[in-house]
Amino acid sequence: MKTLATGFLLLIVLMGLAAPWIAPYEYERQFRDLPAAGPQPGHFMGTDDVGRDRFSRLVYATRISVVFAPTAALVSIMVALLISSLAAWPARLLTSIFLSLPWIFLFMILRSKLPLNTSPEVLLVLTFGLMGIAGWAFPSRIFSAAIREMGKSGWLLQARAAGLSPVRIAMAHAGPHLWSLVLAQFRVLIPAYVLSEASLGLLGLGVPDPLPSWGNLLRELQHPYAVQANPWLLAPLALLIAVMISLEVLDPSRRVAI
Amino acid sequence: MIGAGREARFAGRFTAQLLTFVATVLIVGLLAAALVRSSPGYGTDPCVFDPGIDAKTCDVLQQRYRSADSLIAFYSGYLAAALNGDFGQSSEMQRPVAELLRNRVPVSAPLLLGGTAGGLGLGCLLAWLAVWPRRKACQIPAMAASGLLLAVPPAVLALLLFFREWPLWPGIALALMPRVFGTAKALLEDFYQSPALLAARARGLGSSRLAFGYVLGPAAPQLAALAGVAVVIAFGLLLPVEALCDVPGIGQLTWIAASKRDLPLLAALALIISTLVASVQWLGDLTR
Repeated sequence: MKTLATGFLLLIVLMGLAAPWIAPYEYERQFRDLPAAGPQPGHFMGTDDVGRDRFSRLVYATRISVVFAPTAALVSIMVALLISSLAAWPARLLTSIFLSLPWIFLFMILRSKLPLNTSPEVLLVLTFGLMGIAGWAFPSRIFSAAIREMGKSGWLLQARAAGLSPVRIAMAHAGPHLWSLVLAQFRVLIPAYVLSEASLGLLGLGVPDPLPSWGNLLRELQHPYAVQANPWLLAPLALLIAVMISLEVLDPSRRVAI
Repeated sequence: MIGAGREARFAGRFTAQLLTFVATVLIVGLLAAALVRSSPGYGTDPCVFDPGIDAKTCDVLQQRYRSADSLIAFYSGYLAAALNGDFGQSSEMQRPVAELLRNRVPVSAPLLLGGTAGGLGLGCLLAWLAVWPRRKACQIPAMAASGLLLAVPPAVLALLLFFREWPLWPGIALALMPRVFGTAKALLEDFYQSPALLAARARGLGSSRLAFGYVLGPAAPQLAALAGVAVVIAFGLLLPVEALCDVPGIGQLTWIAASKRDLPLLAALALIISTLVASVQWLGDLTR
């Protein structure tokens, strides 16, 4: 099962990275004589309301999710590590403040401060960046607990007694102890951000048009009659669910609730 | 002596948590006030645009702006007004924020309560099935249901219920369930493998006594803390559900505030929601 999931995810990553070679057209190219067309030669998933090839947009959307969700997870991990390494009570207070506001509210507040004339490309980077910034509190709580536990450990006392500098203790001793936790949190955050982008995209607050993302492709699901008549509109949802299930198969620990 | 020590520890923890709660509310209040001050049009003299305002009213308004010139002065005024239930005026809807909230809380409350209770109940039940009977026939469906629901965006679940004209709280419950399931399962597994339970089982205690005396009883404080986290997640889930399914509740109000850049409304919502969530988390932590 794990081999299957790994293989599928690798295929998706390759598809995302090789999007310009796999997609038959550019994601924003319009076929004005073919708006909302069904599957046909040249457009095997049809076209959207403004005549853009659905398959090409799905391939490019995969690239955006594949590249940017791990980047947002990395931002969260970096911020969480930075905050957790602060003295105990400021870190706890900051984490408590951020945890008291559901991240989606926090994200919306941050996003509403962006200028209206922000370009789609900048907005794409900012959307995932803000997701990363808004989501640091959960991993930080876990890192803080681990660092607190480390503070009580014998090896740390011994390292201090041996006269090692704090930087050396952090780099040579604490770092390797935290590494597995950091990796685990990184793996947990990636699917969380893929799903978050999908939810935000459905609300119209995710990646802006004309850039395609799994989230904004899912917006078409708001028209049930169109979905019934054109079941291929479900393709982005099917791909998203398959990716999420594969990620879960690889990492079934879902202790972090986001 | 032991009792006194325990009481002192509890008092210390209670004080620390209370201080954290108060600090959280005050800091979020400060951020909210800063947000309101940075909203478009804030600080603009209304007399400049409205010739209908008489000179006396103009003086009062200008004096009020001058008195709240510094962030700290504005913040104390904002917080004092908020304590009296005055959260200012929504710039988009031109109505007092308090009135908007009063109208929308009754719509969101059943969704939030039903969704949280349903998600917690279902998540704990499935976690129990995945851990306790030790049978693959129970484990596999529980894990599969949780995994599948975790893979579907909550908004899609809500849309599915909406188009079927079914009530929406199960959408929140189903989206919350897998998030509760993971933590509840890990918690139950820890208790299931505890030496105390193994010893009790070796003494021949029945299943129900083992379950209530050695698992549910000791796990109750952690489950209460989990309920606190579940409320926070359910709050987050309200937003896509209400916004997409056209439910006039707090979630939809937040979505409108964010998409129309109504910063005074967003600030008030942030303050209220963070106070509510911090209270719930504080209560959850106290039970531990």
